[in-house]
Amino acid sequence: MRSNPINLSPGHNLSPASEVCVRVSLVGKYFPRAAAGGSSFSVIRRRLGKTEEADRTEPFKALDKISFDVDMGEMVGLVGHNGAGKTTLLKVIAGLYKPTHGEVFVRGRLGLLSGLGVGMVTDLSVRDNIYLYASICRISRTRVSELFTEILEWSELADFVQEPFRNLSAGMKTRLAFAIAIHNEAEVLLIDEALSAGDSSFKQKCNLYFQSLREGPATALVSTHDMAFVEEFCNKTLWLHHGKLVAYGPTTQVLPEFLRNE
Amino acid sequence: MGVKATETRRSSGLSSSDWNIAYQLTLTQMKLKDQSSFFGFLWSFLHPLLLLALLYVFFSARFSDQIEHYVIYLMFGLVLYTHFSNCTSMGMRALRSTRELTTDAVFPKELLVFSTLIANSLELFLSIAICIAIALATDISITPAIFWLPIVIFAELLLVTWVSLLLATIFPFAWDIDHIYNVFLRVLFFITPIFYNISFIGDGLARRIAELNPLSWVVTTMRNLVIDGQGPAIGELTAFLLINAGLVYITLIIFRHFESRFAEMM
Repeated sequence: MRSNPINLSPGHNLSPASEVCVRVSLVGKYFPRAAAGGSSFSVIRRRLGKTEEADRTEPFKALDKISFDVDMGEMVGLVGHNGAGKTTLLKVIAGLYKPTHGEVFVRGRLGLLSGLGVGMVTDLSVRDNIYLYASICRISRTRVSELFTEILEWSELADFVQEPFRNLSAGMKTRLAFAIAIHNEAEVLLIDEALSAGDSSFKQKCNLYFQSLREGPATALVSTHDMAFVEEFCNKTLWLHHGKLVAYGPTTQVLPEFLRNE
Repeated sequence: MGVKATETRRSSGLSSSDWNIAYQLTLTQMKLKDQSSFFGFLWSFLHPLLLLALLYVFFSARFSDQIEHYVIYLMFGLVLYTHFSNCTSMGMRALRSTRELTTDAVFPKELLVFSTLIANSLELFLSIAICIAIALATDISITPAIFWLPIVIFAELLLVTWVSLLLATIFPFAWDIDHIYNVFLRVLFFITPIFYNISFIGDGLARRIAELNPLSWVVTTMRNLVIDGQGPAIGELTAFLLINAGLVYITLIIFRHFESRFAEMM
């Protein structure tokens, strides 16, 4: 989670009283088709003069002229086929990717859940991983200590606290990571396919969390293939197709259109 | 339409939750190091110890009558070189070795480099303490010059920090810098007065290179403090600290400038 909020630039046209939390303005993200990195020789060669390969190929447009606003407290579902640009869009908003064109403004503390358990270490114990992952989710040590029992109970792992993390099943790992992640204090939460795994009891717990998130003041953008989730929790839907914004608006209008064209 | 790409804006300082991440990452690296072998943490000392034995066997006959306390002399050289070598190599690879955190987590990525440096530098403090204990056990008398030691250690830390930040910035863009740097480290071993004295190499190009090498200054100054009981020249020390602090600042700016490219380059 980003502790230092990205400040709105002084030149933008949002008034301080504006409800807009995320503004994506004409954002494009292009990736070169040739490998970006490489040996120092190939990097120098690319810098000194364009290679024939670079001349021949157009860059891959992962996102192309995307513009939309998200107001405070809204939950937006990002829908689209694989490769539509959902993850790239979330990473551009998170600041992990620099946009090729356009501008992104985020107001508030930002958090990204791109896959659950990012950074957890299999060779450490469950206890160590709780503290480690909580720090990545921007939860203080004191707060984790207070929440420690609750996290273990929520994830049903109270008997495994000293076990190496690698001994847990995939479902247990997801439960533990989710039990920690829900305590983050982000004001703008970006979630990328983080909740696709888990049994029905886990999904029920997740639903309760999203219920509370929807009713709370936090703003969320959720990339998902779960249309039932979008229908139930997202008041707005953003439909991407091959890097282009097809539609953005109330879920009741956009989702049926997306499902018809799927 | 004249639209400009936006840089990710964040304040230049680190928040308390950033430091919490740095603390947890450092702790994780230390725990992993401890678990990585049967001997755990002690394993880190085996490599310099073996090198020390080897260098002593091969060079003591040639140098021990010209260099007083040759074993202690070798120990300080090896400890500082090993620290420089380990920190900068691991610092360079920090973004790659924690790839998931580089690509999917939002926090200042210099913390990945810093935590690697801190985890490796704790060994340095322990190694220097061992060197001083051995020096005391021999007939070396410690003088008040020893109080300069924390400042010289700080100088070494500044040096490894800017070199690591620079290498970590280059590494995602040119992956073979790893191999090139390994060759450089071998060269550095010979252009640093680890097993010889800088006065033995004449006044030619070799001496110029050795004197320009900042690690030579740290090694020589630390030996002077402990073995000879001489404090550093204040002007030299100040210049070294200012130049290296400036380089830390510059390399940090460069690192942050390229930070928004790291995730996609991985």
